[in-house]
Order: sequence, then structure tokens, then C-alpha cells
Amino acid sequence: MATGIKQQDRQDAVAGWLFMAPSLVIFAIFVIIPIIFAVVVSFTDWNGISPLQSVGWVGLANYQDVLLGGGIKQFDFFNALKNTTYFALGVVPAQTALSLLLAVVINQQRLRFKQFYRVSYYFPSITSSIAISLLFMLLYQKNGVINQALSALTFGLWPPVVWLNDARGLIHIMLGAIGITVDTFPMLDATKLGGVSLWSWLSGPSVALLAIMILNTWTTIGTMMLIYVAALQDVPISVYEAAQIDGASAWQTFRKITLPMVRPTTFFVVTLGLIGTFQVFDQIYVISSGGPAKTTMTVAYLVYRAGFGNSQMGIGAAIAIILFFIIFALTLIQRRITQGSEA
Amino acid sequence: MRNTRYFLLVVVILLGLVLAACGGAAPAAAPAAPAAPDAATEAAAPATGGESAAPADSAGKTELVLMGWSSSPAENERLQKIVDGYNTANPAAHVTLSQVPDYDTKLQVSLAGGSPPDVFYVDSFKFLDLAAANALDAGGDKIDSKDDFYPNLAAAFTKDGVMYCPPKDFSTLGLVYNTALFDAAGIDYPTAAWTWDDLAAAAAKLTAADKSVYGMSVTPDMARWLAFLYQAGGSVYNADATQMTINSPEAKKALDFYVGLVKDGFAAQPADLSAGWPGEAFGQQKAAMVVEGNWIMPYLKDQFPDVKFAVAELPKGPADAATMSFTVCYAAPAGGKNLEESWKLINYLTGTEGMKAWTDLGLAMPTRKSLEAGWAAQYPEQAAFQAGAAYAYPWQFVAGFKEVLDAINSGIQQAFAGSMSTDQVLKDADTVGAEILAKQK
Repeated sequence: MATGIKQQDRQDAVAGWLFMAPSLVIFAIFVIIPIIFAVVVSFTDWNGISPLQSVGWVGLANYQDVLLGGGIKQFDFFNALKNTTYFALGVVPAQTALSLLLAVVINQQRLRFKQFYRVSYYFPSITSSIAISLLFMLLYQKNGVINQALSALTFGLWPPVVWLNDARGLIHIMLGAIGITVDTFPMLDATKLGGVSLWSWLSGPSVALLAIMILNTWTTIGTMMLIYVAALQDVPISVYEAAQIDGASAWQTFRKITLPMVRPTTFFVVTLGLIGTFQVFDQIYVISSGGPAKTTMTVAYLVYRAGFGNSQMGIGAAIAIILFFIIFALTLIQRRITQGSEA
Repeated sequence: MRNTRYFLLVVVILLGLVLAACGGAAPAAAPAAPAAPDAATEAAAPATGGESAAPADSAGKTELVLMGWSSSPAENERLQKIVDGYNTANPAAHVTLSQVPDYDTKLQVSLAGGSPPDVFYVDSFKFLDLAAANALDAGGDKIDSKDDFYPNLAAAFTKDGVMYCPPKDFSTLGLVYNTALFDAAGIDYPTAAWTWDDLAAAAAKLTAADKSVYGMSVTPDMARWLAFLYQAGGSVYNADATQMTINSPEAKKALDFYVGLVKDGFAAQPADLSAGWPGEAFGQQKAAMVVEGNWIMPYLKDQFPDVKFAVAELPKGPADAATMSFTVCYAAPAGGKNLEESWKLINYLTGTEGMKAWTDLGLAMPTRKSLEAGWAAQYPEQAAFQAGAAYAYPWQFVAGFKEVLDAINSGIQQAFAGSMSTDQVLKDADTVGAEILAKQK
């Protein structure tokens, strides 16, 4: 009897592995091996042109150049990190909030044409990001639709902004409006952190980066909305009914019932958002190629530039590995925060 | 019984898929037996598909792959015709033309993977990077009639005294101007004798008061500003590329002039004119003058046929006349499998006959002095571009210099926006350049 069960278990195990084998093999070839390859390359001075056999081992020199070197590589990396951080700080909250809002709206029982709304909000997510980027390049032109619409909305008071060519940081613009410029605190301009002056760190996203952030948010809201809709549908109606009986207003229902019940989904959406925004590449590649005065240079695009533009694959791989650790750390922190507050 | 049959069917289908994938994109005539060793090499190389040079098959015909970037349909068609002509005339070889977008990435990947195309384009800008990586076969004496090439173009592809690859065509920068706008403003057309002051004065006069038309459209790009730097007598680095010389009074004069055009309001960036590049702004008649190369001619003929324009040589700077030349060569990979046939093809394409067939299209100029007169007779309106060949500087820098260019471009952009002084731009360029040059092996 016992032998028969063990045999069955073993057969099940073998069958399980066999079924997983194709996807495991594909995963190994296209994900695991390239990652190991990238780690190895990051310790070399490979230029990406000569075959790998002729490459020289440089140990941690690439990481040193990028993080501590004090030259252009360090500046490029921390500048890209600054831009990517502002990008994430702007896009992730906006994306999470707006998608939750849309999900709550769509999830209403008495809403007609639900399917149409669902499709039209999800549509940007499935459209090619290259096509959307090209389209938005046209929209963001100086005499494009966006400037015209804003001008109409403000009755002609809005000065046409050359969105994609404007390198001024948003925070700098706001500070400039109240009279603070780079000369107000010369100390900020002189002190450098990672090769980038403190005044530059405070620049906020540039206008060009803001344009791309808006584009990115619009594209990803659909996916997050669908995830939230699925989560909302898991909330039992009885809870809402109980709240209604207790006399809760719509806002109170939302804050005290809906939000807590979708917390795990919020964690998931924020994590997805963080990972996605830290890796943003296609829009930068199509629209701005690093942008006016390197203000839309993100870390992922810098990896491409270093590897293929400057023929320094070793540096590119090192930056990619550093990016991996940053995203990983952020995800762990975020998980700790969410789990902590649940206790 | 049925289950076993279905199972066998699934296994057979899977096996078929795997074999088909491993066989790669080799031509259907290739026997299935070499599929196994081919699969090993092809799995090692990143997806290069049909670009791998397949060995000669049993008929003795050498398969060659010619890789270039995809440009206008007219150019692509013309090159295909030339290749077809070569194939007919040379039954011993069969050349497949591969025109790819995102060429630099594709070329780099196929070189790194060890299965590069047999003949490929090399832009003068990328030449030193590739030569330093030992990716190119040094043509040297394999190149026919080397003396017939313009010396400065041949020098662009020469390293350590050896000419690696023959240039196939070139373009230079000229001053493209709108004749109708000049007539309306009553200004004489530009000539080769113009100075910077003439250019600024004309730009000022041509700028409309309501800014609907600007005198010029300029981009914060080294590929354009460099001509002005040379015209002022400045340079980027010294002769043996050991020291940066860009932080000089001449460079400051050149940068102040260039940025001044925008600051004074006589020139605008293309984005400010809702255009993608100066050529588009010129075609929409929002800019009366632009500094562009031969490529603007087919663009204007296609997109803006009503614009009346002409080309003059760039104005003379305080020190000298200067312009930039952009040239591309046909190269063979180092250690390539079919070098003899590759060089035969390269010599045909850059020989008198092949080059004439290519440059007859009028999109780029022949690099052979013997073809100069014939092309000039066919395209008299491009005479200014051709005249620039005598004093053009190649668009080329030492290997690994792109980082410095990016930094300078970023600086010029900030200078245009007024957020950085020209002094600071040149100082930063000097610092970054010194760092990169110090690393030169």
C-alpha cells in the first residue's frame, strides 16, 4: 500500500517537472542566462563590438566609475537616477489613484455601457507604445492640440509651451515664481552629490519629462484599472449593504471600506508601477533620446546609450545591475511598509 | 490506444518545430544535415537570422550579405538594382541586400556575435570605434585606384597609414536659402565670400516682426556647430588627441556667435517652429536659411515642391572657410569568411561604374575625383555642396568620444535656453573631454 502511494507521488512529481520543463527551459535561456551574462559582462571592459573572447576583466572598476568616479559617467548615472526617481514619484501615485478611481466608477452596479468604458480605458495599454509615443510627439508640438486646448481653456492666457524641448525643472519654475533662483543659495549649486549639484537634485522633473510622465500614466491606467476592478469585485456586497444601513456616506464607504479591502491589490499595483517606471525606455527612445539637456535621460535609456552608443557594454551592464538592486530594494521597503501597517 | 497516438502526434509536431527553429533562416536549398552544427553556432550568436554568411553550397556560388541602413525608398530601390546588376554579371557570387532600421545596434550585435555581414556600411563617425575594436578588415592594397578618392575623404577611413575601406559617397553642409524670401526682403543671395557678419545681418533682416518667419533655424548639435568652430580657427583637441583645445577664445567666439543668433531672436530651434528638424522648418517657410547637407534636396523636392531655394557655400569665418563632410564607406569584417568575394563587391560598388550608378540618383556626391565633373554637370544646383569638398572636415572623432559630444550638445542646448553661459559650456566640455582622452589607450 505505502509503496503504491510513493510511486504515485513520484510519477506525479516527474509529470509535474516534465510539464514545467518547456517554460523552465525558455525562462532559463531568455531570462536567467542573460542575467548571469550581464553580471559577468559588468565586471569586464567589453565594448560590445569585438567577440567576447578578447575581453578584459576589470573587476569592480565599472561600478567604481559609475558610482564614485567623479567624472562624466558618475554624473550621467546620478542625473539619470534623479530623472527616473522624479518620474516614478510622479507617475506611481497618479497611476494608482486614478486607476482606483476609474475602477470604482466602472464597478458601479447601475452604470450602463460598462463594457464600452472598460474597453476604452484599457485600450491605451494594449496599443503599441511606439505608436502612442509618435502620436503624442505631434500632440505636444508648439502649435499642437495640447497647447491649443490649454489656450482655449484659459481663454488665451496660456503661453504655448514647447513641451518636448523645455529642460526647465518644475520645482525650479515654482521656486522661480516666488523669487528663488540658483543664485539665492550659492551653496546649493556648489555642493555636489554624485556629481550632480544639490540645486540640480531639487529641479524636479523637467517639462519634457512631465510630458512623458503624463503619456506614461495615460498608457498604464488601463491595466491597473482592470486589476482593481477584479479586486473590487471580490469585496462582498454584504459589507457595502451593512455600511449603507449604518448610514455611511459615499466618501466614508470609500475610505473606510473599499480602500482597506483592496490594500493587497494596492501593494501589487504600486510594486508594478515602481518596477515599470524605473525601467521606462520606449517612450524616451522614440520621443526624446535623453531629451533636452539630458533631462529625460532615464537609467534604462542610459544603459542603452552606454552599451550601443558609446560602445561600453561593461558600463551599461554595471548600470543595469545597479538598477536591479535599486528596484529590488524599493520593492522590499514597500512590502515592509505595507505589511507593517497591516499588523 | 488513442491517447498514445495523440501523444505521438504531439511529440512529432514539437520535434518538427524544434528542428525548423534550429535550422534557422538558411535558404531552403541548404541540406538538413548541417542544421545541427548550424544550430549550435546560431544559438551562440544573438538572433542574426539571414545575416549570417552561409558557406558556399555545392554549386560553388558564394553567398554574400550586404548590410546597410534603410533610407528613402528611392535609394533602397537604386541599391537593389545595382546589386541585381552585380549578381547577373558575377554568377560566382550571389549578394543579398539587407537594409535595416536601427543599423548601429544591428551591426554591433552581429559583430559581437561573430557572424557579421560580408560587406556593410561604416559611417566615418563610427569608423575609429570599429577600427579600434579590430572589427574591420584593413583593405589597404585590396582597394582599387586609391588615388582617385578625395584625399580628405580617404584620410577619414585611414588609420595608422592604412586605408581600411573606400568611401562610397559623401555629403557636405551648405547654406540652404529661400530665394523668394530673399527677393521679398531685397537682400542679395549668399555667396562663398559671405562672412559671419553678412549672415547675421541677413538673418536679422529676414526675421519678420511678428516672428512668423525667422532668418535661420539652428539646432544645438555639434554636427552643425563644429563647422563654425573650425571657421573661427578653433579645434576640439590637438593633433594627436592627447589634449582638449576646445576651451579657447576662438571657440568662445564661435559659440557666442551661434548662440547669439538665437539669443538675438534671428534664429529659432526647430521645436520652437513646430518642426522636427531645420529642413522641415525651411520647407514650411518659417526659416529663410538653414545649414544642412545634400539630404535636404530630395526631402524638399518630395515634401515641399513649391519652395524655391538654392544652396550656397557656408560663410567664411574669422579664420577660414570650413564645412563638415559626412561620408560612409563599404567595409569587410576582420576575419570574414568570404573576404576575396567581399572585396570584389566593394571594389565594384566604389569603382567608377558602380559609384556612378549610385550617385546618379543625386542624393549624395561621388568620392572619386574622376566622377566630379560628370556629377557637377548633372546637378549644377548642388555645386555649392560639391565645392565644400575641398575644405570640409570629416565628421569623426577618436574612439570613445561620443560621451564628450553628448555633454557638449547638452551644454549648447542649455546655452540656447539661457541657463548656462558659453564660458561654462566650454569649460565643462574641456573637463569631460580631458577625462575621456586620458583613458585613450
